Amino acid sequence: MIERRGWRWRALRLWLPLGFFLVTGLAPFYWMAVTSLKPNAELYNTHIMPLIVYHPTLKHYVDLLTETSFLTWTWNTTVVAVASTAISLVLGIMLAYPLARMRFAGAGLIAATVAATYLVPQPFLFIPLADIINSLGLSNTLTSLILTYPTMLIPFCAWLLIGYFKTVPRELEEAARIDGASRFQTMTRVVLPLCIPGFISAGIFAFTLSQNEFLYALIFLTKTDVRTVPVGAIAELIRGDVFYWGQLMAAALLGSLPVALIYSFFVEHYVAGLTAGSVKA
Amino acid sequence: MVLSGGASSTSRRQVLKAAAAATAASIIGAPRSRAATKSLTLIHESSFIKTFDAYFQNTLAPAYEKLTGVKVSYELASVGSLQTRVTTIAETGSGADLTLNFFNWPFLYDEKYLDVSDIAESVGTQQGGWYEPAKEACVVNGKWKAIPFGNVGQLMNWRMDWFNEVGFDKFPDTWDELLEAGTKLKAKGHPFGFELGHGFGDNHGWLYPLLWSYGGHEVEPDGKTIVLDSDETARAVDFARKFFQQTMLEDVLGWTDVNNNKAWLSEQISCTNNAESILWVAKRDFPDIAKVTGQAQNPQGPKGRFHTLNSWSHSIFTHTPDHEAAKAFLRWLCDKQQLGAWYAAADTYYQPFLHGYDQAPMWNVEPRNLPFRDALATAHLPGWPAPVSRAQSEVIAKYVVIDMFAKACAGAPTKEVIANAVAQLKQIYSQT
Amino acid sequence: MATITSEPVASPRPLALRDAVARWLDREAVFSWLMMALPLLFLFALVGYPFVYGIWLSLENRPVAQAGTFVGLGNFIEDARDPVFWQVARNTFVYTGVATVLKMVGGLALALVINQNFRMKNFVRAALLLPFIVPTVLSTVAWMWMLDPAFSVVNWMLVHMGIATRGPSWLGNPALAMASIIMINTWRGLPFYGITLLAGLQTIPQDLHEAAAIDGAGSWTRFWHITLPLLKPVILIVTVFSVIFTFADFQLVYVLTHGGPANATQLFATYAFDIAMSGGQLGRGASVALAMLPILGLLIIGLTTYMRSHE
Repeated sequence: MIERRGWRWRALRLWLPLGFFLVTGLAPFYWMAVTSLKPNAELYNTHIMPLIVYHPTLKHYVDLLTETSFLTWTWNTTVVAVASTAISLVLGIMLAYPLARMRFAGAGLIAATVAATYLVPQPFLFIPLADIINSLGLSNTLTSLILTYPTMLIPFCAWLLIGYFKTVPRELEEAARIDGASRFQTMTRVVLPLCIPGFISAGIFAFTLSQNEFLYALIFLTKTDVRTVPVGAIAELIRGDVFYWGQLMAAALLGSLPVALIYSFFVEHYVAGLTAGSVKA
Repeated sequence: MVLSGGASSTSRRQVLKAAAAATAASIIGAPRSRAATKSLTLIHESSFIKTFDAYFQNTLAPAYEKLTGVKVSYELASVGSLQTRVTTIAETGSGADLTLNFFNWPFLYDEKYLDVSDIAESVGTQQGGWYEPAKEACVVNGKWKAIPFGNVGQLMNWRMDWFNEVGFDKFPDTWDELLEAGTKLKAKGHPFGFELGHGFGDNHGWLYPLLWSYGGHEVEPDGKTIVLDSDETARAVDFARKFFQQTMLEDVLGWTDVNNNKAWLSEQISCTNNAESILWVAKRDFPDIAKVTGQAQNPQGPKGRFHTLNSWSHSIFTHTPDHEAAKAFLRWLCDKQQLGAWYAAADTYYQPFLHGYDQAPMWNVEPRNLPFRDALATAHLPGWPAPVSRAQSEVIAKYVVIDMFAKACAGAPTKEVIANAVAQLKQIYSQT
Repeated sequence: MATITSEPVASPRPLALRDAVARWLDREAVFSWLMMALPLLFLFALVGYPFVYGIWLSLENRPVAQAGTFVGLGNFIEDARDPVFWQVARNTFVYTGVATVLKMVGGLALALVINQNFRMKNFVRAALLLPFIVPTVLSTVAWMWMLDPAFSVVNWMLVHMGIATRGPSWLGNPALAMASIIMINTWRGLPFYGITLLAGLQTIPQDLHEAAAIDGAGSWTRFWHITLPLLKPVILIVTVFSVIFTFADFQLVYVLTHGGPANATQLFATYAFDIAMSGGQLGRGASVALAMLPILGLLIIGLTTYMRSHE
């Protein structure tokens, strides 16, 4: 990189814009934190400066963890997200590998079909899917989500992985085949290990989408102990027209900060994964 | 020890036998006197008043099991998701035996509900008779498809202290008087806050009564003739616009049900339409505000005083394997002893539809809740005076009447908003 | 004599069979189709079948808990006559269009900024992803509070600076309400754009930039003539996904305004949901949801054409 003049330049190109993005992106989280720590009396007071907590209290957090099924919901959400991600990755690999590295009749058609399934919006599918889930007797089970979430995750994972698989040089594959490896062995022993960053990338995206999903969870899960965090929070922390704001905000933070922390370890891989994958698609 | 008078060795033996049996039962389980299904599931929506749900789970269900051996599960759907759940159960024919209904659901799911006219009639006779409005939602084609349970009334909440300051010792009796009070209060920095957005309750709670109190109707009692386009409706719309402009802030146009609670507890508004939840929460968390919060019936217009019916009722699904067992349970549940105690566990949040409870002691606990009882007689379902129908549900789902008022308040001409609403009604009613 | 050959002597037929099977499995077409069989089956069962079912529903008059009657295009004709339907269509287009442009421009700017080297780079990148990570419904509830004129920090500041008496009504005024949901959607989706475009930026070889700089090109010229063209494929892909998501958005509006004020923020997804679930009209609801597909379909055709032309 060609270095230019001193700190003014850097401030203009880096610090100011970065500061802008950080403030606008994270200000709501500051608000959530503040709200989760305010006692109700302070919360409803319109005369004081809203951004300061005068008498912080952990009551909302305590109530959230002891009086609601928040921990159960978090567990459910994690189970669903991990399972859906795993299924989506495996099926995504099975779909992407041939499309990326094999030549066969009908490849283009399959690629287009998979892309098309991504187009079908959730709000259209939820009525028929509800019917199917009910007839399979799966309503109010986490299985209903584990089965339906991959429908929205597989196409993206497949697209990303296609791009990534394409970057593995053919020479490696040919060398393996000369050594007598079958296609399957080539795939599992040569190509896939090289694509781990791609899996991480796709996995992170899939995990995020799963734990954020709302519509299907709303329709399929109506019992308290089977709910996921988004639906549980809305359902139990909003009774009629009374919002338990403090607890809602506590739930928001507790639901997202751990995931963000994990991300900070993986984000380098996430970016690297997207780098190779998305650009070459 | 001597047993009470007239005891003989025989009765002592009987007592001992009974005691032995009871002990065995508590260890082994209640003896099955009859065969067939011995469990029922009732679906309810998570109640705003936790003690209400707790009472069923901890007192009623165990009592019934002890009595008959039938285990009753009380399944709670979250607020807002009950209709989805009932739709699912109705469509697939499994998942629960009895359910709670809102609004006109007995009509929507009519074909999947048992005829419970016999239960309804006996309960009505025993407990003082049903309120007429209760039948609006539960009697479908002459048959009772649900047993009315209670009303979640939507009434006026008013800040007694601020109203006093502008010269009103009692809650204004007519809409015009309320307008006057509101204008003065807004000038003093205490505006009104009535919901005009896409919520579920607090908008219906005043807009339909406003329409009716001016004589406006959507559809005639024949269920087909659309009569929304009338002078009466126009007058109601014009009043609403004036009411909004003179007493409220722009924000209410986008309010959903939660906003007026929030505004009340942060002391921004002096009057709104709501269920008992504001006072209830205020008493718990904001006692100073609770002291000055009053509740009153809707004001009256030229053609009377009205309220919105928010009918809760119970039905039995036709797919339940043992009709008799389900009916027996419902009959027991609606028996005075159980019903009365269950009502009391909810602090009058559900106003009973039976005249037998008009003087129940629970009303004396909080006299400010009395207007909820008095409002029952003039409560009607949205869509009244037309009979219950599916078209009604679609009208509500599409917010036809609500948006008519909301658009007018936002500035659209009266003729235009009425014409739009009529066009929508025509389209909806022509389907059914 | 012991024969040391590689030819199998014992039981030739089974081995030959195994060999033949292995060779058959190794053929490109066979391998590919076997690999794809399971995922394709999965997608057909859980997307394809419901999709066809959904289309069938939209052609029926299907009240809840009742049998349906075939009405052909009846539902669609009724939708066309429903003035709210057209308002919903307009809203969804405006919402998607404006939010996408904002996310694209903002995401690009963000990517350019965080592409530079600085301490705690990874931590900052993860922090910037937070709006994307937090469950939408919960962040929307937070926004509900932040946009309340009585509690909003923005309004508070405006009032205290003497600029306004109460501040704008973010969710009561129809235009501001639409602006608000666009703003929240942008806030939520910008990180995704940013991170993905960042990945794209990192593949552009440095020597290209250096060569151009040596030739005297300024940074703006370099951006316009080198960076942007090379980023086009990525921008396009991300935009397509983003548009699909935004067009079918449900959570934000459902929680924040439920379509109000007076349908100013009603979108296809929330309208379809209301009609189907509250109104009890499953067929009509499906028809409204189906209306989304032609537009999205045009997009995919556009994308595939672009991809083909650039292969």
